[in-house]
Amino acid sequence: MDRLRALLPSARGDRIRWGLAALLAVTILLVPNLAQVAENAFPDSVSARFAIFLASQALVLGLWATSFNLMLGYTGMVSFAHAAYYGIGAYTVAIIAHNYHQNAVYGLLAAPLVAGAFGFVTGLIALRAVRLYFSLLTLAISQLLFTIAFEWYDFTGGDNGIHNLVIPDWLSDQTTIYYFIAAVTALCLLLMFIVVRSPFGAALLAIRENRQRASSVGLSVKAYELAIYTIAGLFAGVAGGLYAIYDLQAYPQLLYWTTNAQPVVIALLGGTGSFLGPVLGAVIYTYLQNFVGKNYPNEFDIVLGAIVLGVVLIAPGGFVSLPDFFLRLRSRFRRRPEDERVELVESAGQAMAALEVSRAVASSAVQVDPGAAEPAGPDQRATLLKVNGLSKSFGGLVAVRDVSLNVKQGDRHAIIGPNGAGKSTLFNLITGRLKPSAGSVEFDGRTITGWADYRIARAGIGRAFQITNIFPRLSVRQNVQYSMLAYRKVTIRPFGFADRIFREEASDLLESVGLGRYSELAAGQLSHGDQRALELAISIALGSKLLLLDEPTAGMSPYETQKAMELVRRLATERGLTLLFCEHDMNVVFGTAQTVTVMHLGRVLTEGSPQQVRNNPDVQRIYLGELEASA
Amino acid sequence: MDVGNLVLFFLAGLSIAAVLFIVTAGLSLVFGALRVINMAHGSLYMIGAFVSWFVIVHLANALFGFWAALLVAPLITAIIGAVVEIFVLKPVYGKEHLLQLLGTYALTLIFAGLVRKVFGADVRSISAPAALNSSVPIFGHGFSVYQLFLIAVAVLVAGGLYLLLNRTGLGRNIRAAISDPQLLSTTGVNVTRLFTIVFMIGTALAGLGGVLVSPTSSVDPGMDSNVLINAFAISVIGGLGSLVGSLVGAVIVGLILSFGFAYPPTAHYAIAFVFAAMVIVLTIRPWGLFGRAEQ
Repeated sequence: MDRLRALLPSARGDRIRWGLAALLAVTILLVPNLAQVAENAFPDSVSARFAIFLASQALVLGLWATSFNLMLGYTGMVSFAHAAYYGIGAYTVAIIAHNYHQNAVYGLLAAPLVAGAFGFVTGLIALRAVRLYFSLLTLAISQLLFTIAFEWYDFTGGDNGIHNLVIPDWLSDQTTIYYFIAAVTALCLLLMFIVVRSPFGAALLAIRENRQRASSVGLSVKAYELAIYTIAGLFAGVAGGLYAIYDLQAYPQLLYWTTNAQPVVIALLGGTGSFLGPVLGAVIYTYLQNFVGKNYPNEFDIVLGAIVLGVVLIAPGGFVSLPDFFLRLRSRFRRRPEDERVELVESAGQAMAALEVSRAVASSAVQVDPGAAEPAGPDQRATLLKVNGLSKSFGGLVAVRDVSLNVKQGDRHAIIGPNGAGKSTLFNLITGRLKPSAGSVEFDGRTITGWADYRIARAGIGRAFQITNIFPRLSVRQNVQYSMLAYRKVTIRPFGFADRIFREEASDLLESVGLGRYSELAAGQLSHGDQRALELAISIALGSKLLLLDEPTAGMSPYETQKAMELVRRLATERGLTLLFCEHDMNVVFGTAQTVTVMHLGRVLTEGSPQQVRNNPDVQRIYLGELEASA
Repeated sequence: MDVGNLVLFFLAGLSIAAVLFIVTAGLSLVFGALRVINMAHGSLYMIGAFVSWFVIVHLANALFGFWAALLVAPLITAIIGAVVEIFVLKPVYGKEHLLQLLGTYALTLIFAGLVRKVFGADVRSISAPAALNSSVPIFGHGFSVYQLFLIAVAVLVAGGLYLLLNRTGLGRNIRAAISDPQLLSTTGVNVTRLFTIVFMIGTALAGLGGVLVSPTSSVDPGMDSNVLINAFAISVIGGLGSLVGSLVGAVIVGLILSFGFAYPPTAHYAIAFVFAAMVIVLTIRPWGLFGRAEQ
């Protein structure tokens, strides 16, 4: 168990981080006083006014970069348009104060609304695309907005921008502005912190980890991405508004896409994996910019580039991951030489320890489940899934042709067939990842033909994938818990503490699939077999009535296979699940299935009890024959 | 505006498209095979232009200098490309795509700083080589021979790339890498080296574009981001990873820019039209006109 503990997130690193956050808060409060003390001590080299100005700048940049990190760090979206919403915030304040002669503070209230509105509309366009195309589209949007700000002389002042803003008298003092900015920044950070820890934030993490899986646990991925894009734009608007208030200007360059380097560099500097990382990054950045950048502008760009490159290549965690880095370094030095071999995790320790058992199983005859061997009489059970004349063609290739299938309530139904028989395509049609060319699918009395995959997941069809599909950097418990949040539509709530909701229920479920002791481990560190078990747990967490398993034992050792199928049978019995699975391993098929459908070249060849299928001469010819011949 | 003017703007648009095609083809080829968006592609174009300026001004007389630059600059950017691919991209293959974006983004900052440090921030200009520095009459207007030369070079590059991809073993491997790199590695092809070669071809094209554009526009440290934006727009319109897409996209963008700048009321917004076209195409076909839908 010591090995296991070494892998768990360290509570100590956490404590150090909270300590740093508290230190940061106190420092921010004391900046004006410290600046004054420093000026008194070194009147020639330090100007308190300038120091306070820089601190204001750091706070605003920190707020801006934190809002950027809602996308980069929490959702895994790279936007090149974030500078545009910052610029829009600054222009909102400038235009209200300058063109309409209103109080600049009203402008600050309007800034998030305007920037958020722009974020929503442009986000709608950008999110037509995913990943790289999304990034490129944000670039285009940002350049469009820049061109408008640059060319619309009457409203935005064109390439000159708007300068010498008038702000209310009570705000004109440097120290007051600083405290005002600190208060607004603190409020915004608090709001964002609530959002990222909420069930809504949990949905974002799930999307960052695995878009496809997030969709199959019932999240409407695009809607969440649009929501966080808008929210990030809104807070960028606040940051931009604050910028206009302390620097008293707005100009088109603020919106230019290269300005976007700032939140990127700052977020990476501080660490994208931590909430306050970008704030720390902003402090470092402001220092670098004013003490390196002022004197060596060319070298400054090179230094920034080198920092980003270093973070990308060496420490994707940024500065905030340093506590963990040092703790790891220390434990490495303390460790005795013989322990060093235990670097990699073997969570499937049981499997290894039971090598003997594994050999025994591999050599023994087919394990037939007694339940499956019962002769199947006329089946009185209700039909849960009814597939009717389903077809799918890709261009000229017909992958699935007029397939009809009835899966009974509580059945364990296998689909077999040689490679290319259309099994995976059929599964994709049932789960909504592909749209059928013809035919219908009815589930639980409802027609679900052509529904989006997340709606079908909600309707109660769970799926384990051919390629293991989990949220690798979330803990095992979070995998299950966040899936429950998603399925029960709690993830629309942007407040509350996601990790406290359904925690017990998730732990119980993990106990029952045998993953209890790994619940705090990152799911990606589990062995292959345990990851499949986790997938099952996720499907159960989704309240699935029907479980689709696509080659559940692919890539498993004989021992793992046996364990996995035992688990599947036990869970199906305990929780009254219906199983539909495809599998190449005939031991697994005949050991588990109660009904078997044989597919060949996209069609259903025959269907019946395992015994009937075994004795069908056609099946023997096309499938079992092949196997026996090759055996 | 008479027919002569229309033809002239059309040809001018094609000559803009010529350089943009050469640059974008490099970007697109790299994306197709490596699945990496090289944010530093514009920087290599800029480096190509600065090398061209250096060779022409310092190393030889204007006639010989340009032709020397045409060889030297792509060679230098290809070598830089090899270094970048080996030390920056190899470590992040197979990781999250955002690391690749951010890693090459870091390079744009480094290259921009280096160029300004070495060459200063001055705006420079080069004249076209004497042999091409004249104009021919077209519909009663003079049209620069050099711009016709650009169109011819782009046609040659397009033909060369077509032959490379469809008539050589290297090209066959590249096409295989575009469709399935994992499968390719199991057939005994050294995919690691193939990727380096593809990236070098891509950056050589960026450098070539930089040399070609240098007599027609100013050579200055801001040219990296300008060309990058246009190349992105083109590859998004045409579809990332498709050479035909790059060609069609480049012509669309070249014509939009040429005609957009032609009329005073729209001149300021010409670049906005490019992005509007990009938004329209992506809204209808999110993977571009000739691109493949991402999985």
